This record gives sequence, C-alpha cells and structure tokens, in this order.
Amino acid sequence: MAGQYESVKLVGDNIVEYFAMAVIVATLTGAFAQVAFPYPFSPVPVTLQTVGVYLGGLLLGPVWGGLALLLYALVGTAGAPVFANFGAGLGVITGPTGGYIVSFPIAAAVIGGLVHRRVKPRPLDTVSIPLQVIGMLVGLTVIYAIGSVWLAASTDQSLVSGLIEGGVVFVPGDLLKAVAVISLVTGGHLARISFVE
Amino acid sequence: MITYEYGTTLLHQLDPRSKLLVQFGFAFAAVTTTEPAALVTLTLLAIVALTLARLSVFRVLWTYRFVLLLLGLAPLFASLKFGSPWIALEQAPPSILAGYQVVLVLFISAAYVKTTPVRETRAAIQRHVPGKAGQLLGVGVGLVFRFFPVLLRDVRRARLALRARGGDVLSTRERVRRLSLLTIEQAFSRGERLALALRARCFSWNPTLPQLAFTAPDYLFVVIGLVLVGWGVLQV
Repeated sequence: MAGQYESVKLVGDNIVEYFAMAVIVATLTGAFAQVAFPYPFSPVPVTLQTVGVYLGGLLLGPVWGGLALLLYALVGTAGAPVFANFGAGLGVITGPTGGYIVSFPIAAAVIGGLVHRRVKPRPLDTVSIPLQVIGMLVGLTVIYAIGSVWLAASTDQSLVSGLIEGGVVFVPGDLLKAVAVISLVTGGHLARISFVE
Repeated sequence: MITYEYGTTLLHQLDPRSKLLVQFGFAFAAVTTTEPAALVTLTLLAIVALTLARLSVFRVLWTYRFVLLLLGLAPLFASLKFGSPWIALEQAPPSILAGYQVVLVLFISAAYVKTTPVRETRAAIQRHVPGKAGQLLGVGVGLVFRFFPVLLRDVRRARLALRARGGDVLSTRERVRRLSLLTIEQAFSRGERLALALRARCFSWNPTLPQLAFTAPDYLFVVIGLVLVGWGVLQV
C-alpha cells in the first residue's frame, strides 16, 4: 500500500471539537436505540433513538448534526449493532424501518438549520425556546414523512396505510420523547451543556 | 444479535469492497424484482451466502424479529380500505411479496456483518469517499464503533442508578427526561476528552490506513455483484 510520507496536515482545533461531539452524538444515538421503555399500544419496543436526532440538530447545528446522524447510519450499515435491538447491516436500511434511519441525518440538518441558521452552531441560550421547540417538531415531521413513505414502499402498501402503520406503531412514543426533550430545552439544561462559547 | 465473528471462511477472506458490491447489487436486484423465478434465484443466492458465512436462517430471523413483526403487520394495514367494504384482501399478497424481498436482503447483509470487521468497512469508506468528508466519515465510523460499548454501559449504569433511587415510581416522561439528561452530560464530557485526545495524537487529514488488497476470489465476487446490479437495472 502506498504510505504517505509528506508532512502531516493537522485538522484544525475547531473542527476537532465539533467532530468529536458529532462522534459522541452518533454513539449516544446508538446507545439510546437500545433503551426500550414499555409503551402499551406499540407492538415494537419504543426506544430513545430519536433523542439523538434532536441533540444533533440542537447542539451541533445543521452540518455537524447532519454528519453525526450520517455517521450513525454508516456505522450501523457497516455492522456495528447500533440500530434498535442491536440490529446492524444494510438489510435494516432496505427494511421497513430503514426510512426512519435515512431520515435522521436530514431531520438533524433541518432542526439545526432552523435553530442556528448558519453552519457554526450558536450557544442555545441565545436562541428563543419556541424556535427550538418548533425546530424539533419540524424534525419529527421530516422523520415521519420519509419513514412512512419508505415503510409503504418497502412493504408495497398505499401511502395512507403506510402512514397509519408507522403512526400507530411509533407516533405515541415519539411524542412522549419530544415532550421530554422539550422539557430539557425549556429547563435550560441543554443550553448549559451546549459547548460553543 | 449478529456482529462480526472471527473465522476463516471464504467470505472472511474476501476484500470488503467486493462484498459491499455484491451486497448492494443483491439489494438492488431484490427490491426491483417481483418475478417469482427471480425471487427463487435470489433466495438460493441468499442461502448460499448464509451457508458460506456459517449462519443459520433461524438465527437471522430471530435477530430481526421486530423487523419481521412490522413486515407481518404490513399486509393487514395494506388490506385496509377507507370506505365500504373496508377490507381489500387483494392488496395483501403484493405486500407479503415485498416483505419477502426485505427478508432476502436481511440474509445477505447478515452474512456481510458476520464476516466483515467494522475496521475493514471503515478503511473502504476512508479510501474511496473523496476529500475531507471521506477522512471524517472513516475516522468517525472507527470512533463510534469504539465508543459504542462505553456509552452503552454509561446508559445502563444511569438506568440502574435511577431505578435504585426509586425511579420506577416516576412517570415514563420524567424517567426519559432524567435518563437523557444524565447520559447526555456524561457523554459530552467524554466528547471533550476525546477532542483533547485527538489533538494530542496529531489528528490529521492524511493518516496511514490499514491495508486492503484484492485476492483471486474477490474478482469472482465483483463479477457477481456487477451481474446483480445489471440485473437490477434491466428490471427497473
């Protein structure tokens, strides 16, 4: 293999910082995907996975948040058991729930774009709380839009029944998670963690 | 759970790139076809792949049982009709067929996952995705893989601690809130240490990568992958 012997090009300090946080958000999404909590109406376990998407968009902004969730999808496809129930592999992406995973980077980028409106994330205490909440709800809508179309396509059903299956299975639990994260936002907890100066 | 397991099978010895090509080709061919004859061929291919990977069909099905549950529910939802007579049973068979295609791709990807260490896939990403994006994605895949067990342990410990302090009596929403906050704080302090460690180790845009090299069987698999892709294209 051709080794590289010219001088080392160091990655800038700022980029290292954002990149490390993107790695952490991607990993946290994987760990959260394994935390199932009981939800009476759902035939599949409801996990904390989408919390990672909110974190990516809110704390890292559109580019680094999007990269974080893209990393999550890539690592799972490459074989690390980071998808729900320790799933991994391309088959999960082409499967009925693959659309949700594919939608995560887009949703994180949308949330980041709405909340920060630039590449470099702002400190969260300078962004109004209603805007953060709206960003999360728009992100959730993106996840369901892409996820349901994918579910309908991968199981050859009509879009409407795909929306119903996805909705019946996932929406109640996801609303609950959104409410929990919103309370972290309104309590100022995320602003405290927000690492940008 | 199916993850990489050490082995000396033919699939283990292949270059990750030829396996990736077969995998994507297979997925493409499987989702574009509805011909019964084509599905039989793909089923045979999937069984060969599982046999080569020394993986049982039942283990794969059990691993992905929740995916199968969703696939099983799909025909029921597909046969719903809005308006009299409310049920359209003729819409169930296409849905079952589509679900079967998904299962076939699950078989192939399980064989890939069991026979390919993540570091090899990471090397393929870093080598072939151009520019700085490729570097960040490649290193990122490696780091996420490394950190996953660590953060998973953090989350579990936080959960236990919450339970030990009477967390069970709290509402689900409150438990989700506390658990997220606790683990996010911990994870971000790990992130800060990671950034420092990366800088201390001269994290660069041009590192030396692990070796990847094609051997004779790889070319055969590249041909199989290309044939599958071509087949998929013909069916579009």
